[in-house]
Amino acid sequence: MSEWTRERIEAEARTGALEGADLSGIDLSGADLSHAKLDGVRLDNTDLTRAILDFASLKHASLKGAQCELIVLGGADVSEADFTNADLRRANLVGTKGHGTIFDHADLYYSRPGSADFTNASFKSANVQRAIFRKAILREADFSSAEGQANFENADTEGMVR
Amino acid sequence: MKIQPFLLEDTLEVNCYVVTCEETHATWLIDCGAFDPRIPAYLEANHLALSAIFITHGHWDHVTGLPDALAYAGDIPVYASAPEHEGVKTTQIKAGETLRLGNHEGVIRHTPGHTPDGVSLIFPGHAFTGDALFCGSVGGTKTPETYDQQLTAIRTELFPLPGHTRVYSGHGPVTTIAIEKQFNPFFT
Repeated sequence: MSEWTRERIEAEARTGALEGADLSGIDLSGADLSHAKLDGVRLDNTDLTRAILDFASLKHASLKGAQCELIVLGGADVSEADFTNADLRRANLVGTKGHGTIFDHADLYYSRPGSADFTNASFKSANVQRAIFRKAILREADFSSAEGQANFENADTEGMVR
Repeated sequence: MKIQPFLLEDTLEVNCYVVTCEETHATWLIDCGAFDPRIPAYLEANHLALSAIFITHGHWDHVTGLPDALAYAGDIPVYASAPEHEGVKTTQIKAGETLRLGNHEGVIRHTPGHTPDGVSLIFPGHAFTGDALFCGSVGGTKTPETYDQQLTAIRTELFPLPGHTRVYSGHGPVTTIAIEKQFNPFFT
């Protein structure tokens, strides 16, 4: 049983004390984790619906199967994080940095990744219907077998696989 | 201040917000695209009563539920910059005026472009921007002139707010002034 509670997580999120912790399965819906330091944290199957993680650091974090509808990850760094099978519908991903991030089989319906940097990210078999990648950097990103019509207006798609 | 969002998927995915002063329990509804049954259910579950409705602009997806909301809430003020919506006479507000929600003072900012009557309601740390500023976008406009008007209003009325200010838009997820100033593709 994890010793972490929602209250303790919110209180210590910016201190770095959570880095590498296993927080899987804790209800963090609507939690205020703005500017949190969560590198390497494990959040598999965690409820992060409407959680606020603007400008947070989640490098190498694992969010497989996490519920992230309407999450705020604007300005966050999720490089090398794993969102496989995550629910990211309507997520705020504006300016999110995600070099090498994995979104395979994730649901990104109507998400807002405008100006995001997803260089080398993987969106294999993801749902990107109505996702707005306006001005995003998608160099070498892999959208093979991705489903749905996304908006790639003024995005940098050099080397992108579709 | 507690803010409970409601996403109305069947009404152009519009948002409306129930906003409560946690000290006095004064409660407002911000925009009313439909008076979804979840709203009275939430109010009743939390023993809250609406004391006012605030309208950001007059498009149908933000006002259609107004008669139903008033039928439920009774004779409460409807704050808007236009004199009437859906046959309901409003309490007209204008830029620079302040409104009190319990212990919280909100300021009206004129944010036209999407519509001429567009206003935003700004509390410390929380901005209700209607269809002026969205997460990673701005509201649609009809002419180059109104597009310029929209960007200017956002730059002069919203972007000077503290970066941590949360932005609650008419559509889409919550965002912050810092995110939009730094990354919104319409300004970068």
